[in-house]
Amino acid sequence: MNKIESNCLICSQLLKLTISWKMLLTKRYSPTICTGCTARFEQSQSATALYQYNEAMKDYLHQFKFLQDVALAKVFRQELYARFNKEEAIILPIPMHPFKQQERTFSHTDELLKAAHIPYVQLLEKTTTETQSSKNREQRIHVAPLFRLKADANVEHKDYFLFDDIKTTGTTLQHAADILLQAGAKNVQYFTLIEG
Amino acid sequence: MKGEIVMKYKGWLLPPALRDFHEGRIWLKNHSPFSTADIDKAMKRNYLHIIEGIQMEPIIKCNRCHNIDPHLFTIFDCSKCQRQCSYCRHCIRMGRVSSCTQLMIWHGPKAIKKRMHSFKWAGQLTALQQLAANETLASVQTKRSHLIHAVCGAGKTELLFPAVNDALKRGLRICIATPRTDVVLELYPRFQQVFPETIIHALYGGVTQQNGYAQLVIATTHQLYRFESAFDVMIVDEADAFPYTIDETLQRAVTKAKKEEAPIVFVTATPSQKLLNAYQHESYSFIPKRFHNHPLPVPQFCALWGYNKSFKQGKIPKKLIKWTEERLERKEPFLIFFPTISLMHKAIPLFQLINEKILAVHAEDPERKEKVWMLRKNEVQGLLTTTILERGITISNVQVAVIGAESPIFTASALIQIAGRVGRNIQFPDGDVLFFHHGITTEMDEARAKILSYNKEGFSNE
Repeated sequence: MNKIESNCLICSQLLKLTISWKMLLTKRYSPTICTGCTARFEQSQSATALYQYNEAMKDYLHQFKFLQDVALAKVFRQELYARFNKEEAIILPIPMHPFKQQERTFSHTDELLKAAHIPYVQLLEKTTTETQSSKNREQRIHVAPLFRLKADANVEHKDYFLFDDIKTTGTTLQHAADILLQAGAKNVQYFTLIEG
Repeated sequence: MKGEIVMKYKGWLLPPALRDFHEGRIWLKNHSPFSTADIDKAMKRNYLHIIEGIQMEPIIKCNRCHNIDPHLFTIFDCSKCQRQCSYCRHCIRMGRVSSCTQLMIWHGPKAIKKRMHSFKWAGQLTALQQLAANETLASVQTKRSHLIHAVCGAGKTELLFPAVNDALKRGLRICIATPRTDVVLELYPRFQQVFPETIIHALYGGVTQQNGYAQLVIATTHQLYRFESAFDVMIVDEADAFPYTIDETLQRAVTKAKKEEAPIVFVTATPSQKLLNAYQHESYSFIPKRFHNHPLPVPQFCALWGYNKSFKQGKIPKKLIKWTEERLERKEPFLIFFPTISLMHKAIPLFQLINEKILAVHAEDPERKEKVWMLRKNEVQGLLTTTILERGITISNVQVAVIGAESPIFTASALIQIAGRVGRNIQFPDGDVLFFHHGITTEMDEARAKILSYNKEGFSNE
């Protein structure tokens, strides 16, 4: 998984690798996309997200999730690592419905964390195969619980940190946080790759 | 009648559409346009064979696009098969092929090939075209690969008609492949007009599905990843265009899409040395002259020292302003080729100060087609462009300038193709081809020398 990419994962252009002292002395992942593709992503102003949703992000999510290009999980590993590596709360990626996950062959939130070598646990289960993106705002907010606790889940009185790829209305994250709080979590925060 | 038995057939009949679609194709099982029930039935009868998506031995290989570059495979923990899976990133845009996906190949009854095709073409081939057409026909009939080397504007498409017509009448399946989508879009209506009763499919990225069994397929070379041992005759048009020459999987795709013994006809104005070496002494047709019997316009060199600096300072070099204003005054449409998109973007606002009816196009421009069409209709005066318009376009009385002709992107064949845009129309058989440069390269010399030699060869007997 840690092979050095010779070409940009997005545009296939040859990557120019410059070795710096910073790279040698600090733990940094080698880049996987070129500077041109990096520049197309827009940093988020929010403290709970890395990026703002834009055309480049739309293309990225399409290739990653719809075309099932798992390799793209690595694109943001350095940024995610920097954000999570000092995090003391227990990290919890938002799960997919098992059927959906089988269909896609991978869970995108898990893969994003795995690529950055961030340890995480799984306590929740998705109850529905419906997707949030297929509903309008009204329908999204008023839905039956989206998650339940896994049979063997043990929620402790600790801090939890939810992670998802994108936040639009926040319903998904709210549902997950509610379940955890009801089960006795001390505090639940969230962080997403993209702000919708 | 006595003892009449009423029989009701309760079995499964093969839907002809399924056969027509899958014959010759290598297709993802879960992407078939037909119902799973029909696909399963066809598999049960051994009409459809299943092969694994990714082959691991002796080396890792994608069984659809035949990619073998290990960098273009990614391994991951697959939730579908609960094991480590590899998938091919090379052809991912056609639907992902991974270790646990299944590819289907048709082994069932063959589609019915028509032998009756009407051939409606009233045109007349020139003596040189006729000779090349006869040579091509003879090669195809004896299943021998052939190279047609014909200058830009020689009328390459027409001389394919006899060979295609003959193959159709023999019930063969033919593919015309080209690296460029623009070429597919140009060829399709022309062939459909000439063979009005033949089912022809045009295949390129993003096209919708077409019905029936196409005995003639006009496709981009990319689309050939989806075929296997399908064609009896393979024609590769613009065989030297990007990215065909640098992408080996595209060359392998041409070979795997045709039947083993099927001949390949390469058609180009600028064959690579490799192609020439392979075919020049065996089966080779050469047309040094345009169909309208006028010589090729010869490029002129014009020094434009420090053009880069000049554009950076927000100024168009004087010689170029003069040339552009002359074209505008004489109401001649023009194309100005730039070596890079960034230089072109610097130049376009400056040109628009001279005349607002000058636009710029590049490969990713969504309005590319419309802009070229506007030039053709005289709605714009001229276009600034990258090498994307170097081939495949015909605009009456167009004049051409190349900025920075010394840049590495302008190879001899690119320059010959660019020069080949000029003087294609019988009413305007001549025009300007100007190479503005910051130093003359061997590629520029070679392009000019080749054009001069074609003219010499074409008009030596007159």
